[in-house]
Amino acid sequence: MIVKKGSFVIEGLENVQINIGKVGAEEEQIAQGPTPRPEIISLRNWDYRLLDRYNPVYTPTSDMCDYCTYGKCDLTGNKEGACGIDLEGQSARQALMTNIMGAACHTAHGRHLLNYLTRKYGNDFPIDVGPSNLQAPLTETIMGIQPKTIGDFFPVLDYVEEQLTQLMATTNTGQEGSARDFESKALHAGMLDLLGMEVADIIQISCLGFPKSDEKAPMAEIGMGILDPTKPVVICVGHNIVAPAYILDYMDKNGQFDKIEIAGLCCTAHDMTRYNRNAKIIGSMTKELKYIRSGIPDVLVTDEQCVRADILKEAQKLHIPVIATNEKITYGLPDRTNDNVDAIIDDLVSGKQAGVLLLDFEKIGELVPKLAMKIGPIRKAKGLTALPNEEEFKKLVAKCTKCLQCTRDCPESLPISDAMAAAVNGDLVPFEELHDKCVGCGRCDYSCPVDIPVLNVIEKAAQRVIREEKGKVRIGRGQIGDPEIREEGRNLVLGTTPGVLAFVGCGNYPDGTKDVYDVVEEMIQRSYIIISSGCAAMDIGMYKDKDGKTLYERYPGRFIKGNLLNTGSCVSNAHIAATTIKVASIFAGRKTKGNWEEIADYVLNRVGAVGIAWGAYSQKAFAIGTGCNRLGIPVVVGPHGTKYRRAFIGKPYRKDDWNVFDGRDGSVVNVEPAPEHLMITAETKEEMMPLLAKLCFRPSDNSLGRAIKLTHYIELSEKYLKKMPDDWHIYVRNEADLPVAKREQLLKLLEQKGWKIDWEKKKITEGPLRKVDVSFQPTNVPRLCKEAKK
Amino acid sequence: MNSEKAIDTTRQAVPFDTGNIPGPKMARATMPAVAGKMLAKAKRPLLIVGSEIHDEKVLAKVVDFGKRGIQIAAVGNSFSALGDKGLDAHYINMHALASYLCDPQWPGLDGKGGYDLVVFFGITYYYMSQSISALKNFSKIKVVSIDKYYHPNADMSFGNLRDDVFIAALDEVILQLPKK
Ligand code: SF4
Ligand code: SF4
Repeated sequence: MIVKKGSFVIEGLENVQINIGKVGAEEEQIAQGPTPRPEIISLRNWDYRLLDRYNPVYTPTSDMCDYCTYGKCDLTGNKEGACGIDLEGQSARQALMTNIMGAACHTAHGRHLLNYLTRKYGNDFPIDVGPSNLQAPLTETIMGIQPKTIGDFFPVLDYVEEQLTQLMATTNTGQEGSARDFESKALHAGMLDLLGMEVADIIQISCLGFPKSDEKAPMAEIGMGILDPTKPVVICVGHNIVAPAYILDYMDKNGQFDKIEIAGLCCTAHDMTRYNRNAKIIGSMTKELKYIRSGIPDVLVTDEQCVRADILKEAQKLHIPVIATNEKITYGLPDRTNDNVDAIIDDLVSGKQAGVLLLDFEKIGELVPKLAMKIGPIRKAKGLTALPNEEEFKKLVAKCTKCLQCTRDCPESLPISDAMAAAVNGDLVPFEELHDKCVGCGRCDYSCPVDIPVLNVIEKAAQRVIREEKGKVRIGRGQIGDPEIREEGRNLVLGTTPGVLAFVGCGNYPDGTKDVYDVVEEMIQRSYIIISSGCAAMDIGMYKDKDGKTLYERYPGRFIKGNLLNTGSCVSNAHIAATTIKVASIFAGRKTKGNWEEIADYVLNRVGAVGIAWGAYSQKAFAIGTGCNRLGIPVVVGPHGTKYRRAFIGKPYRKDDWNVFDGRDGSVVNVEPAPEHLMITAETKEEMMPLLAKLCFRPSDNSLGRAIKLTHYIELSEKYLKKMPDDWHIYVRNEADLPVAKREQLLKLLEQKGWKIDWEKKKITEGPLRKVDVSFQPTNVPRLCKEAKK
Repeated sequence: MNSEKAIDTTRQAVPFDTGNIPGPKMARATMPAVAGKMLAKAKRPLLIVGSEIHDEKVLAKVVDFGKRGIQIAAVGNSFSALGDKGLDAHYINMHALASYLCDPQWPGLDGKGGYDLVVFFGITYYYMSQSISALKNFSKIKVVSIDKYYHPNADMSFGNLRDDVFIAALDEVILQLPKK
């Protein structure tokens, strides 16, 4: 059944009316909610509601504060520093600053694109993201406007930039002192981050011909083994498509795709494939140093974000010229923007200059392919690589003294010396395994007291697996279209789709990239909708099943259960968050414009969506997570996420924290802890999976949906932790909530817990926290109750 | 045990991850017998173990602790190795546990109240180090690391140990515990 508009009733749920909202032309361009363009405290009450239930948990990496000249102050044990701030306040201030950094990064990226694209295409260039009336859900919900053209986004970014300045001001010594209010401000920064990302991706989708809500977007190749290293190789690193787009256009015009290999590292790669199907993807930031050290790239083009700070130094050693194309990363390079292209090429080929700053896109487009054609053969003739040859490799591994210094410096504590010992005996398998777990940071090189270039040794030893590293990623599709939301809304209400799991973020995984593949495979087989973006979307495509197929080849890309979607690059994360707004708007008819609190309240209580940033490392990833939290979406991070130093963790044993209102009459209902946490870590993938299933529970679940969610929660816990979850019964409201296949067995267990069962009717007569009420309208916001509205 | 033979766990008392230096207060290096006596004397001790206990020898020590009546918080994926051993072991998420331990209202894993001493081993190093920084700064609970690695955020900790020394040190801790 596909319902396009109006109201309908589901069989068996006759007293539930489902409204498919009217969106678009009929709606006015005026705010419908109370907080268009919220200021830094406009949504404080909503934040407090979240923070009072999901208490911030601080895990400082440093017990000191050294922000001002009063310090360093020792804040150990939550002492106050000279300015009066305690460790809790300082930790919250750091959470805010981290969010501001992330939000500024995405917003500045959006600003660069907006200035460029409006200059090129004009302010009136229409927004077109695919088959949607609700084209800019975050913009509508936050700003209270419905943008039609790319120029309409100028006031949006003006607003974000102004708010970020206000927020940054509060972090100065002698400003905000309350941890709770720092966190409210951090949530504000997270929300701004989502908005900055939405602007960036909508305008590039609209102007640059990216797939528009395309569930059938073609596949792109991915991996360290996909390029033909005998051809000149251009590698673009970062996140901003503008410079790579000019290079691709030039190559297209001159028919060079069979002569030059061009690929990207990190999110630039996603956007290159969205722009031109000939582009390829090497992988996430963790592949950056590894790939440079291989010597395969002949030209490196940098733009912004997730570019290693030592890229010039590393490239220079191998005579790989670096073309910096964005003001944010300039490496002290000479600005050759106004110089003649051929003259610049001569200086780079001769080695007179290791790299240049070039801000003229036309010149970049022309220079890079020409440079690659010229320097490629020269570099290849010299066989330039940082990796040792066979003889050198043997000598290097024999030098290892097993001092473990490298392991102590390694972010993943990898057992490097064991692999060295195995290699001495000709066994390279341990090194091949390390290659996947190694995040390519290079810290081990600095630590080795006998000067073994550890990363190069790992990469040399792993050549066999690297050659095989060839996967497929479905090109970033952009937004989820309104028609998909309409179709899937029914399953979301019935719960036959147990949840939406969004795998996002970076590659700082605790135990290699394979974990993400394994978890996605498990959850997609259980009919969760899997959405991905950024580096996580890449890593999902890196592994194959026994038939040689990647997950993207096995599962289609529509927003329905059991599908796998790649929205695109980092800034495409906005669409994932925005999907929940679309559900609230299109499916439930909630007004969006300037109505953040109501939408977020709806999402928190009704939309079983969870974000997973298993390898998150960056400030940007933290900001995305915090923005999702303000929108009512829980986020799970890998164990490294404790180094973000703040989480939002619910306390199920504090019963009053789980009181909500029934929107029909304002009565208070004590509900099960759903979702139990807003931001939390897990130690391993085995722990993560049942946690994901649990975080998909929502107070609004009907019995069929709850039974399905409960099935997965119990099964995943039994499969991976070898136990029934201790708290499964909390989520049972009546016998219909129990998975059918296990009903009898579970009723017995409930009886053992003291619940009363009518065995004749197979009914629970006493025990549950509350009854199922299919018309229940859970809300955390008193003003949204009908009584209050009167 | 003969004191001359006692294992010295106070050497190499420097953060295992080189950069893990939290501030002026770092754990005092401790000997197994001292940690064991504290555990024996505690009113309501809790042993936390995590995803690095699957090695046979380490797992055997967890079981020994459990058999002496110490309640176990099995974090990460560790419960999968402990559930069938007849121990007072409970799965809990480590990050949530850190949060709850800081809350005097928390009724504990069994509903019988909070804890006055936490000891731990066998958890991803940086993960545990971060998690107990919450306890160090925002709770009154004593934290003693009997892990293979020195943990600066504990009150007391073993230094960085070799595998065999680690197992022997755990044995010495267990020796101090009354048999059930
Ligand atoms: S490069 Fe790899 S092995 Fe070396 S320290 Fe970094 S993660 Fe560890
Ligand atoms: S630091 Fe060097 S010598 Fe020490 S274990 Fe690592 S590779 Fe071997």
